[in-house]
Amino acid sequence: MLKDISFSIKSNQVVSILGVNGAGKSTLIKCLNGILKPKAGKIKIISYFENSAEINLVDISSLDLVGLSKVMSYVPQSVRTSFSMDVFDVVLLGRKPHIKWRITDKDRHKVSETLRYLNLEDFAFRKFDQISGGERQRVVIAKAIAQDPNLFLFDEPTSDLDLKNQIQIMKCIREIIKDSESPKSALIAIHDINTAARYSDKIILLQNGSIKAFGSPKEVLTEQNIADVFGVKSSVVLTEENYIRVLIDDEI
Amino acid sequence: MDSISNMDSISIKHIEKGKNQVLIILVLGILTFISSVFALGLGSSKNLDMLTVWKIVLFDIYDFFINIDTVLGNVWYNLSGCITSSCDTRSLMHGIEREGTDIQNSMIYDWRLPRILAAIVGGIALAVAGSLMQGCLGNPLVSPLTLGVASGAALGAALAIVLGFTILSVPALAIVANSFIFSLIVVAIIIQLGKMRSISAESYILVGIAITFICGAIVSTMQYFASDAQLSQLAHWSFGSLSRPNTKNVAFMALILIALLPTALKWSWDLNALSMGGDEFAISTGVDPDKIRKNILIVSALMTSIIIAFTGLIGFVGLAAPHMSRLVVGNDFRKLIPCSAIFGSFLMIFADTLGRTLFAPVVIPVGVMLSIIGGPFFLYLLLKRGDHH
Repeated sequence: MLKDISFSIKSNQVVSILGVNGAGKSTLIKCLNGILKPKAGKIKIISYFENSAEINLVDISSLDLVGLSKVMSYVPQSVRTSFSMDVFDVVLLGRKPHIKWRITDKDRHKVSETLRYLNLEDFAFRKFDQISGGERQRVVIAKAIAQDPNLFLFDEPTSDLDLKNQIQIMKCIREIIKDSESPKSALIAIHDINTAARYSDKIILLQNGSIKAFGSPKEVLTEQNIADVFGVKSSVVLTEENYIRVLIDDEI
Repeated sequence: MDSISNMDSISIKHIEKGKNQVLIILVLGILTFISSVFALGLGSSKNLDMLTVWKIVLFDIYDFFINIDTVLGNVWYNLSGCITSSCDTRSLMHGIEREGTDIQNSMIYDWRLPRILAAIVGGIALAVAGSLMQGCLGNPLVSPLTLGVASGAALGAALAIVLGFTILSVPALAIVANSFIFSLIVVAIIIQLGKMRSISAESYILVGIAITFICGAIVSTMQYFASDAQLSQLAHWSFGSLSRPNTKNVAFMALILIALLPTALKWSWDLNALSMGGDEFAISTGVDPDKIRKNILIVSALMTSIIIAFTGLIGFVGLAAPHMSRLVVGNDFRKLIPCSAIFGSFLMIFADTLGRTLFAPVVIPVGVMLSIIGGPFFLYLLLKRGDHH
């Protein structure tokens, strides 16, 4: 159960949600994009673009699923299918909120552009279930990019991947957000503290459904907070490249 | 924007693939049409071979158009005849000289043509219903009969035959109406259960199985106490046969199908998302899985019930046609649905024609023929699936 959640994401920011299993990381993400509906309370997104200082108030509960899918795109932890399609067609599904029936050249162009951006051109006409786990995850991210949202929602994007793929995916996410000319941000539910610390601009630390701390990795990932939330003793160090690394010592 | 007008190679390849798929569908459609033409000429009658049949039919078509003014003059007579009594070529060609003898005309237009039309309409309906069900439940082993449509229809038929409990009192349509209404009642129960607790795709299938057991138990009990004549009639009903629907029935089935097909096609993109990635993936592209699952089940049940009410139980087509077309055009429902429809009608024409020519003049009902082909095919499917995983 989530209580009194309030946080802000600036455009072109990567924000991670950390917490123990059951703290509400996935729940928070799924509430935003319509998979879970709040029993009480409303969800509002206030967005403003720093250049134009324009304030847009969007009440999510008033948007239908199609409206939501134009604004945000959700990448689940893994996608398993009984009905495999070509990679191109899977990414094309990202254009669905913008399509009535026919696919336009613009849609196709967006898909092949996205495939090239993620080094997936060679896989364009391979079947989705015949590529590796890391490649599948990139395809689902490609579909999210093709959807052209303002907010990307990632649910444990690295959990099913091996170490090298984990790094590649996080770098990829960061690149998508930072490179973009239009306002785009990412909200990532993740359980690996160090991955979150290394690749996020801000961290939301959840405990029992409420926000215990919200801020930069340096501000949030203190030894005290980590002990409170995760029940482990740790040492937090600042690396040469100026990001936080958490070394876990023992359980408390 | 130059970058868009110079299409990149990947996009071009995608367009090519799409065009090829459409071409394949057209070719398959033409082949199915040719097979139906062939089927009209095949039969056990000695003085009615292929050439004779087509001589008669072509001359009739020619005479029809030559005498179009007579036809138009009789149009009200024909229409009222169609509605009040039988709808056949006698009324359509009233006052025009016919090429064949009365017996030959009867064989062609009263016996063979309705079965071929029923095969086409029934094949399309069952195949489309099957592909919709497989897509929305995310399971390739599902058929339009999975949700208890078949057991509801059997229950309705049994109630009419054994207990004389009929909803419509017109004797010719009593069993038909019962089958149709009871199969819809079963589906309504399942949909209502789905509304009460939001149930997943797997749960729908399990509920369908449970309902099938319940209906089956009721039917078995009735069979136990039924007379021999009633048992025989019920058994015959359960062998789906294309001899039963007449031209008027087929026209009615076709009307309902034509009304429902555009709705089915409209869901293609939603089904693409839902079948490809599951519920959460579909929601992320703007599809509401609960709502669309409910709507698809209703349309699919309607399509299936209207056919099997008239013909009796016909399995296999709804399961196999989508699989066959998936091998040919892949999983895009915009192409899968039309392709399944074509494979469905071909399977029905093939099975029905084989059934009435193999041991001529004995006619093996299409439901039985399809079951014979179905078993080995289903085994093949399971083995192929096993390899894959």
